[in-house]
Amino acid sequence: MKIVSGIVSFLKYALSFIIVLGTWELYAAYGGLNELFLPRPSKIGLKLYDMFIETGMIYYHFFVTLLEMAIGFLIGVTIGVSLAVAAAFSPRFRRYIAPYAVVFNVTPGIAVLPLIIAWFGFGWSSKIALATLVCFFPPFINTLTGLLKSDDEAIELFQTLGATQSQYFWKQQLPNALPEIFAGLKLAITTALLGTIVAQFGSASEGVGILMQRFAFRLDMAGSFASLVTMSIMGLMVFTLAEFLDRHIVFWRNLDGLERVSRQRAKKG
Amino acid sequence: MSYATTEQTKKLNLTKTLPFHLLIFALLMLLWEMINRLGIADDLVAPRPTDIVMAMADIFFIDQTVWHHLASTFAKALLGAFIGTLIGMGLAITAVLNETFRKYIKPWIILMEATPRIAVGPIFVALLGFGMSSAVALAALVAFFGPFVNTYQGLMDVDHEEEELFRSLGASKFQTFRKLRLPTAMPLISAGWKLAAASAFSGALVAEFIQASEGMGVLISQYVTMLTMHYAFAALLSVTLFGYILFKIMEYVDYRIIFWRDDQLMYSISEKKRNKMRAPA
Amino acid sequence: MYRQLRGGERMIIEAKKNKESASSDSGAIVIAAQNLSKKFGEHVTALDGANFEIKAGEFISLVGPSGCGKSTMLRLVAGLIEKTTGEMIVNGEVVSKPRTDVGMMFQKAVLLDWRTALENVLLPIEIRRKITQEDKQQAIDALDLVGLKGFEFHFPKQLSGGMQQRVALARLVLTGAKIMLMDEPFGALDEFTRERLNVELLRIIGELSATTLFVTHNIQEAIFLADRVMVMTPRPGRIAKVIDVGLKKPRDISIQTSHEFNVLVEQVRDVFGEH
Repeated sequence: MKIVSGIVSFLKYALSFIIVLGTWELYAAYGGLNELFLPRPSKIGLKLYDMFIETGMIYYHFFVTLLEMAIGFLIGVTIGVSLAVAAAFSPRFRRYIAPYAVVFNVTPGIAVLPLIIAWFGFGWSSKIALATLVCFFPPFINTLTGLLKSDDEAIELFQTLGATQSQYFWKQQLPNALPEIFAGLKLAITTALLGTIVAQFGSASEGVGILMQRFAFRLDMAGSFASLVTMSIMGLMVFTLAEFLDRHIVFWRNLDGLERVSRQRAKKG
Repeated sequence: MSYATTEQTKKLNLTKTLPFHLLIFALLMLLWEMINRLGIADDLVAPRPTDIVMAMADIFFIDQTVWHHLASTFAKALLGAFIGTLIGMGLAITAVLNETFRKYIKPWIILMEATPRIAVGPIFVALLGFGMSSAVALAALVAFFGPFVNTYQGLMDVDHEEEELFRSLGASKFQTFRKLRLPTAMPLISAGWKLAAASAFSGALVAEFIQASEGMGVLISQYVTMLTMHYAFAALLSVTLFGYILFKIMEYVDYRIIFWRDDQLMYSISEKKRNKMRAPA
Repeated sequence: MYRQLRGGERMIIEAKKNKESASSDSGAIVIAAQNLSKKFGEHVTALDGANFEIKAGEFISLVGPSGCGKSTMLRLVAGLIEKTTGEMIVNGEVVSKPRTDVGMMFQKAVLLDWRTALENVLLPIEIRRKITQEDKQQAIDALDLVGLKGFEFHFPKQLSGGMQQRVALARLVLTGAKIMLMDEPFGALDEFTRERLNVELLRIIGELSATTLFVTHNIQEAIFLADRVMVMTPRPGRIAKVIDVGLKKPRDISIQTSHEFNVLVEQVRDVFGEH
């Protein structure tokens, strides 16, 4: 029964796509579309087939981009979370860095791109650097506000139980902050992907971003749209992974998660 | 610009210790200056603060190059934000009012959320050229998502009991929309505007980096290419400065529209309305 | 026919054993306040000159309107806030920091959302040392005692308000503390649940022979549960009157309609009638 309902809801989603893509294709087939601007879906599909299956040229670019994004994300998150933890524990440190955090928030990270390229060159490191730069802030601010959320009665409870500061942190403060921290991480990973791709524009030899730019500048629209679709796939992969981790680690945010884990714990006994 | 909310940045608690911060800042600048003069870092990575200040004076007052480019980037961003917001809000309102539309648009929204929309940049530049239109188009594309999601969520997230109240008073769907849903949604909607403004800037800048004739993105690239890093820093600071001013203006507008969020303002407006009633018209 | 002991019954037998060994202490004074005052800043006198003695095993209700200092009093006993003048003595010691020989319950259950009921109940032990199989069994027994058998692996959000408070009570039992401090624990619940929990509370506290300080703004609840009722008045907060509740325990809910009960209610109301 579950399989059938799964297929049905998948079809419902697919219907919307089928309608739009179908109309698009028909419109192009009857000559109503300037194919220089907007190639028909079948052409894009063929290009995708070529890139993924026939020549398989896309895989290298795909993985290079993913890797640059992942490293940038990891570095950005590490810095962001560490600074946030330090700021949560030391009001003095928080005061010192507060204005700089605000300034950082207001600067468009993208604007720094030329400088980053000047400093890091045309290779992988400049992509990683931009990804780190643009994705570091959400984990920072979310971890900080998550940790600063104080529940007076929880504090009183832990005090009467004779808990140490460290116990309070690991058993209450940190788990309590997890929902917000993960929201920041989800935002960061999408932003990191964005940063990586933008950094590739005009300064890379490999990666999905530069691939798309090359196609576009040669006016090979099918190619550039196919690259765009590839980026969508990457985005969806990343998004799904983030959602999955979120739902499994911060399971108590919704009822389904609670029921699932409750049953697991009961089995363990 | 990133996505932190005002409440979150307020936790950083800035205002009280201004002289203290100025002192720390001055010390940091001194340290930076010394690092450069002592040769520990070169002009490429860490141009002297004094040079940067001179560059700023130059581009703003002497040469006055920057105004032109600032205007260009801001125009692209604001226009893009405006268009993006209109489209985003329009789609959101339609989705709220029409259930079929909502169902059909949902998969596309998920797709759009996962795709880095800014990546469409090269396509727009290739098709629309180096001028304003590609930057505005990209800015609009990037900016539309924030207002869409926020407007949709804000309008949908209506208090059940308040809705029942309106129904019991015999209000029409439109009246409920105007007098209940819209005001309730305002905080989220205006947060969406801020998101749009922030994203639009990124969009405009990226379009400029890819290929453009003018704008701050172009200016910064040029300065970097010429290796006059102090000018590049100066240009970057200008963008930040004006972006900050814009941010503050939007915050103020936000503050005045959603007056019931702040107690003081709420009381003063309440007082004003009371006085208007008392005074014989 | 042999019937294996249910967890709750095991707990009661344990408690009875402890009670017998500690019976010589039953007359001892557990909490004492001498001229206790608490000021917040210059102008707010939350508590003004409180004097009382509470014996082991007594159930004391603190009743009064908002601002009468009852929550402040509770936190002074717990050592969560510091007195301004006077003395607060618990178990023979002057209170100077948060005490671990008291257990607290709040108006919110204050359970950790990401832990099962069982894990929440085990929290006090976890903080002190490693959990043993015996501890787990004790926790299961405690949950049985409060009537939540079968819910050990449920999460707080899956439980109703009343059930959450029961978990909090079970946790309190596991601290092993003999002094229970309760700050309007049933205030957020509906009338029916509250009445039921009142009866259960009396049963559980009775079996564990604990000394209890119970804060409420509900006069019926205050009288129903207590051996003595301290009526408090606000601005400044002080103990206006201490009323002896002569009614025998165990008490049934129906006692609330009896004549003696209503006399006591009137006595409490009279304290405020003068204001």
